[in-house]
Amino acid sequence: MTPAPLLEIAGLTRHFKLKGGLFGRSAGVVRAVDGISFEVDEGETLGIVGESGCGKSTTARLIVDLIAADSGTIRLGGRTLGVDLELRELRRQVQMVFQDSYASLNPRLTVEEAIAFGPTVNGVSVREATALAHELLVKVGLEPKRFAGRYPHELSGGQRQRVNIARALAFRPKVVILDEAVSALDKSVEAQVLNLLSDLKRELGLTYIFISHDLNVVRYMADRVMVMYLGEVAEIGPVESIYARPTHPYTQALLSAMPSMDPDQLTREAPLAGDPPNPINPPPGCRFHTRCRYATELCGKTTPSLFALAAPRHLAACHRAIPGSGHPDAPRRLETAA
Amino acid sequence: MSRPLVDVSGLTVRFHGERTVHAVNGVELALMPGETLSILGESGSGKSVTLKTLLRLLPEGRTDVGGRIAVDGRDVMALEGEALSAHRGGIASMIFQDPMLALDPVYTIGDQIAEAVVRHERVSRAAGLARALEMLTRVRIPSPERRLKAYPHELSGGMRQRAMIALALACRPKLLLADEPTTALDATVQIQILLLLKELQKESGMGMLFVTHDIGVAVEVSDRIAVMYAGEFVETGSVREIIGDPRHPYTKGLLAANLHGAVKGARLDAIPGAPPPLDTVPTSCSFAPRCPVRLATCETARPPVATLGPGRMARCVHSAVAA
Repeated sequence: MTPAPLLEIAGLTRHFKLKGGLFGRSAGVVRAVDGISFEVDEGETLGIVGESGCGKSTTARLIVDLIAADSGTIRLGGRTLGVDLELRELRRQVQMVFQDSYASLNPRLTVEEAIAFGPTVNGVSVREATALAHELLVKVGLEPKRFAGRYPHELSGGQRQRVNIARALAFRPKVVILDEAVSALDKSVEAQVLNLLSDLKRELGLTYIFISHDLNVVRYMADRVMVMYLGEVAEIGPVESIYARPTHPYTQALLSAMPSMDPDQLTREAPLAGDPPNPINPPPGCRFHTRCRYATELCGKTTPSLFALAAPRHLAACHRAIPGSGHPDAPRRLETAA
Repeated sequence: MSRPLVDVSGLTVRFHGERTVHAVNGVELALMPGETLSILGESGSGKSVTLKTLLRLLPEGRTDVGGRIAVDGRDVMALEGEALSAHRGGIASMIFQDPMLALDPVYTIGDQIAEAVVRHERVSRAAGLARALEMLTRVRIPSPERRLKAYPHELSGGMRQRAMIALALACRPKLLLADEPTTALDATVQIQILLLLKELQKESGMGMLFVTHDIGVAVEVSDRIAVMYAGEFVETGSVREIIGDPRHPYTKGLLAANLHGAVKGARLDAIPGAPPPLDTVPTSCSFAPRCPVRLATCETARPPVATLGPGRMARCVHSAVAA
């Protein structure tokens, strides 16, 4: 039997009501995250990719309850949030690093105060917490003697992100959610921070949820990848399988929109036309059908659910992959023996 | 042989204020009509500043610009008054990362494009609006008649970017300056805009200087690439040369950091450290403190410029030895 996953998310949903119109009546609903389910195994890195507005950051915030979910269950280590797992405990175990390294830090706290703050609030003595902060600074490659007393504005972007990582680690978390954590860094600095993240993962046995729009980075970092489109999971699977055999037309489009880095194989045709549609009142049926070259009438009517493909743990939500869905490209339904 | 559209030599830019910043330290640049050169660099490398000098967009009171800048045979530094206005938007035009800052929120898209055409070409407003409609059609904005009357906030991100391109190209400039125009866009929209720019360029024969930090984007749009570091071009060459045979250690580091084809689990060849502060004119190799193959001379003297072929150079002592 395989061990139970470390983190289990089921039916996670959050809709934002838009205020507006006469007397503040609701002017629409943003279906930011719409009933998504996934699991993260201990020690793995799950990459989440998708374009702006697809709900990847909202998903991250829902997991640690920075935004309250409308519905859905969150289980960590076999315990369910709100049943036998307290929010305080979940937040200690699941830490987050954000894209904006400057906005994430209190400008009035020095680096060591910022890292020690969480543990002191949780009952660790100031002296112990400061010692821990110094230890973590060493771990993230910042010499405590030079950096402990500095304020955020005295650091470069890469150094600030190292501080944010150190602060996340101060709780000895099991899971770290990295929400575009390296996206704002220059490429040469980004590579340094990615190396650091790999080292820390190995050394501390961490589990990562790695959210990024950069498919090269996700391919390098992730074990499994989840592709989101307008608040739903379009495809999820092992990184090799997704990159070699993308099944959902949206995943295919995302991958072929990546620059080739080869002057002999320049892109001649854009894989998709237009912008991603607004997540306010998304299209019915398959949400991608308005931009999909394979869409049929079926796609505009029926929502495809995630279907397990031939490769292990690889699922896609596309009628073309579901046997007997009625889509002309779909495989024939397996005849069951009478 | 035809004359270069852009001819820049010995360009230096120094900002003075509370502290002095030597943003550009001796850039040589030539661009032929119809050609695309990408300036590739990280934040603070001076790539956008270089671009802005070609339109004289830097605040003149706080900036010292040295060297020679010629666009279409005219000395940009000497332009004044009417001639400068005619240059901006007429001869050379610019597009930016954030179209919301480039477009005026209180005028419709049609009015903004028409205004530029009326001012530059002294035609009627009706003719300006007709050109606006033609431009919106050319940048493939769906239902262009309707968009003519739209305000910038009513358009999606990709659409706004197209509208800004339409505005920039409305007066048929000979040179388009593109400052990270696709950086804020989603991947599937980015490739649409890159292909559109290439196509418009082919139609009109204009030259393009394209500033980006993304090497993949540079490969996609350009004929040649100039890699910029600490206010200098450290390597130039054709796309093929830069990708296939990088000579400067910084270029090699950037290529490795792009992670294209990086092996999972293998350590990344990260460039250590960070770019230098630019408060003094460099007297040694600016990259030496981060360079894995530096020699003693790199830290004491300016590296020689090794010319490796036509339009191909590297500012590195190792290339000079090999050449």
